Amino acid sequence: MKTSSPLAPVPTQPLSRRDFLVRSAAGLTLSFLLPEFRGFTDLRAAPASGGPAVPINAWLTIGADESIALTIGSSEMGQGSFSGLAQILAEDLIVDYDRVITVQGGPTTAVPAPIGTAINTVGSGVTRSNFWRLRDAAAIAREMLVQAAMNALGDPTRANYVINNGVVTHVPSGSAQTYGQLAGAAAMLPVPVSAPLVPDSEFRLIGRTQLRKDIPAKVDGSARYGLDVRLPHMVYGVVRHCPTFGGTLAAMPAKPAGMIAVVPTRVVAGTNRGLEAVNNFNALVVVGPNTWDVWQASKRLSVKWNLPSNVASLNTTQFVNEAKALASVATPYVAGGANLPGTLYTVEGNATAANAAIYQGAAVVDATYTLPYVAHACMEVLNCTVDYVAGVKCDVYVPTQSAKSVLTLVLSLTGLSASQVKVYTTYLGGGLGRKSEVDFVSQAVQVGMAVGRPVKVMWPREEDFTHDQYRPMAVIHAKAGVKVDGSVTGWSYRNVSPSILGQRGAVLGAKGDSQGIEGAQALPYSLGARVTEWVSHTAPIPVGFWRSVGASLNTFGVESMIDELAAATLADPYQFRRNLLTDPRWIAVLDAAANLGGWNTPLPAGRARGIAIGTAFNSIVAEVVEISAATSTSLKVNRVSIALDCYLAVNPGQIESQLTGGVVHGLNAALYGKQTFVGGVAQSKNFNASRMIRMNEMPEVKVALIPNPAAADRTKPLGGVGELGVPTFAPALANAYYKLTGVRLRSLPLFPNATMGGL
Amino acid sequence: MSQLTLNVNGQNHSVTVSDGSMPLLWVLRDLLGLTGTKYGCGIEVCGACSVLIDNQVEHACVFDVTSAVGKKIVTIEGLSPDRSHPAQQAWIEHQVPQCGYCQSGMLICAAGAMKAGHHGAAIASEIHNLCVCGTYPRIKQAVAKL
Repeated sequence: MKTSSPLAPVPTQPLSRRDFLVRSAAGLTLSFLLPEFRGFTDLRAAPASGGPAVPINAWLTIGADESIALTIGSSEMGQGSFSGLAQILAEDLIVDYDRVITVQGGPTTAVPAPIGTAINTVGSGVTRSNFWRLRDAAAIAREMLVQAAMNALGDPTRANYVINNGVVTHVPSGSAQTYGQLAGAAAMLPVPVSAPLVPDSEFRLIGRTQLRKDIPAKVDGSARYGLDVRLPHMVYGVVRHCPTFGGTLAAMPAKPAGMIAVVPTRVVAGTNRGLEAVNNFNALVVVGPNTWDVWQASKRLSVKWNLPSNVASLNTTQFVNEAKALASVATPYVAGGANLPGTLYTVEGNATAANAAIYQGAAVVDATYTLPYVAHACMEVLNCTVDYVAGVKCDVYVPTQSAKSVLTLVLSLTGLSASQVKVYTTYLGGGLGRKSEVDFVSQAVQVGMAVGRPVKVMWPREEDFTHDQYRPMAVIHAKAGVKVDGSVTGWSYRNVSPSILGQRGAVLGAKGDSQGIEGAQALPYSLGARVTEWVSHTAPIPVGFWRSVGASLNTFGVESMIDELAAATLADPYQFRRNLLTDPRWIAVLDAAANLGGWNTPLPAGRARGIAIGTAFNSIVAEVVEISAATSTSLKVNRVSIALDCYLAVNPGQIESQLTGGVVHGLNAALYGKQTFVGGVAQSKNFNASRMIRMNEMPEVKVALIPNPAAADRTKPLGGVGELGVPTFAPALANAYYKLTGVRLRSLPLFPNATMGGL
Repeated sequence: MSQLTLNVNGQNHSVTVSDGSMPLLWVLRDLLGLTGTKYGCGIEVCGACSVLIDNQVEHACVFDVTSAVGKKIVTIEGLSPDRSHPAQQAWIEHQVPQCGYCQSGMLICAAGAMKAGHHGAAIASEIHNLCVCGTYPRIKQAVAKL
């Protein structure tokens, strides 16, 4: 659908409002409370003023009191998408942004689902997935309100009406009515199939920085995160896992004095990963009067665990050695075969042709890159509060990226009906992918069912670090041939890593795990004959989605290798990349980062720059990293210049924040991030052994956004933002490190033994 | 069990603890319901639990509650009744928080540095707390004019 003037005639078709609601809501991440749905008929009779809010459609309510509320079923974890969606809505509803109130929605099992699977807040997806549908919804609501005004005044000529901040004015008569005054009548009207959107040239909000709505509550302590939930008569639970992955409770310890209960918790189907098998009792939760007393009682408890039979082999050194072997020799995938871990999947191209072509180069570069497991380390530890009354209800309060999955899980565990279960999504103190899992929710529900009173269950920081579902380790073997003129003759790339989707029960097809090879396939570089392979690693340590997922592994592999090829031909790394690219969007992003980072300007002695480019979630991103003062234990990151093409930027100020955050996330991981295992036990247990930068170490970060199109085309995908700062940092850093020191950094993190004090 | 009186945000509160070594953090959060002060690491690394005790920034996660008796404790809830503290205003103006979880501690550190007579960049140099979201540049911008 093309954009056109909002003053153009509106095609209408008499559909029932329910059809509109159902059809249009499918796949949206926006929600509304079911009682509002059921009460819809009653609300039609509501008085025109002073009465309850009148729902116009599934996503927003316009009240007779002039309130405009947008109820959103996604999660707010700092990415600002609540505010971005309000901004989009206000644009096409033609109201001031300040007037839109955002309300945290909840999941539902209503059929057909008004929310569907889009409730999950993953894949940098909330804004980009809902942009056009939300605009349509706002435009349709706006035209229904105008239709109500037309009906009231008896003038059906749309061009005679103008809208300003929710006031519909009939120009010939000067008669003005507010949305609130029109809402009751509008709710009685047939719903148009579509409505014209505000033209891009008339945007007041989209593409302009707006203040985030969640920030005031985050400066006075009133924002409620999961860990802040308090219910009447609530008690506290603290989780203690078997330190060894795969271990199970050997015997129930006695309940300590002063405590209410000790509850063993099992691995629930759907939350099992790697060694953590379904029905294993792998943790217990001490319950008592407050967090501290419970935590201390939990620590004092003597607990016997049965360890897995393969415990002696559960070591990082062994995992890396196995991966390196698989980087050379692995068993090819067989359609219909068992394809056990250790299987080689050809994602694209042909190995024989690529290998022959590689050796037509004047130089052949053969490199193996190693990446560690990395914990998420959200500032807010995992937690969940459950209020369960047998046969009556289960209320769940949780900082989750996956409220829909939480609802499904709770229904399954409790056997309650959908109307008896409520899931309340709180603010998230960071999500980073970890809070898309529901293992911690399953524990809290088990505890809530055992104690039969409200209970808040918390993982101490040490549990959070040692029982994560980590970013997968990876060994990446790349080989390529390059001619003296900088053209690449052939390219072979193999990533060996544990399968995120495989650990979730997915049956992998001929191309393996899509998450594992993100960022390495369909590269727009001219690479001659290429082969891209992925091998499923056997290591059974739980792995999961970590901000930018596979792109955080493969962009390091690909962009380090590209840099090595540039070095082999003594080429400038920026020009070398540019010469291999033809896609104008990639070239524009590369140029933007290079310009921002002053690539062609001289540096003081002792400083060096590196560059990298990549893609994730339909966006293209490039970074220039400038470093100095490298020693065996530290270096200084002076500046990071990052350019992004996300096709259409909604809130540039918030995008700058997100990209800066991604840079810090990538920086912490590249310099220090790692989790290692000895006998199945995670070794880094707190921030003191998993260093992160503090404010005095923060580099200057500059951001350039590719300008928005003059008229956005809804057939083109919007790109994500939230995870995009991460993937190109590590390779740009490694490339700068090579320039500065002459040493090629092929193994992350750069400083694996860094610590940061503390008790 | 012992009963203690704490002065928090200008008001006296009576609390009963079973363990006098209970850190102030859990007294504030669980017993007094002041959840703005956050738990991050429990080992004095991250600073999310920062509070002011007699105008000094302290880590509530390791500060024994008995040691806080007789002292003036200020938490994020006590910085101002209406977000009017200059640091809070600056945080909003510069749109500092992302997830926001660490920001109570950040603001307390900024307020503590201001009380100690610091201004601008000197405030930033007094803040050593962790932020995983990477709000550091905006904190620097926010404190620049304080």
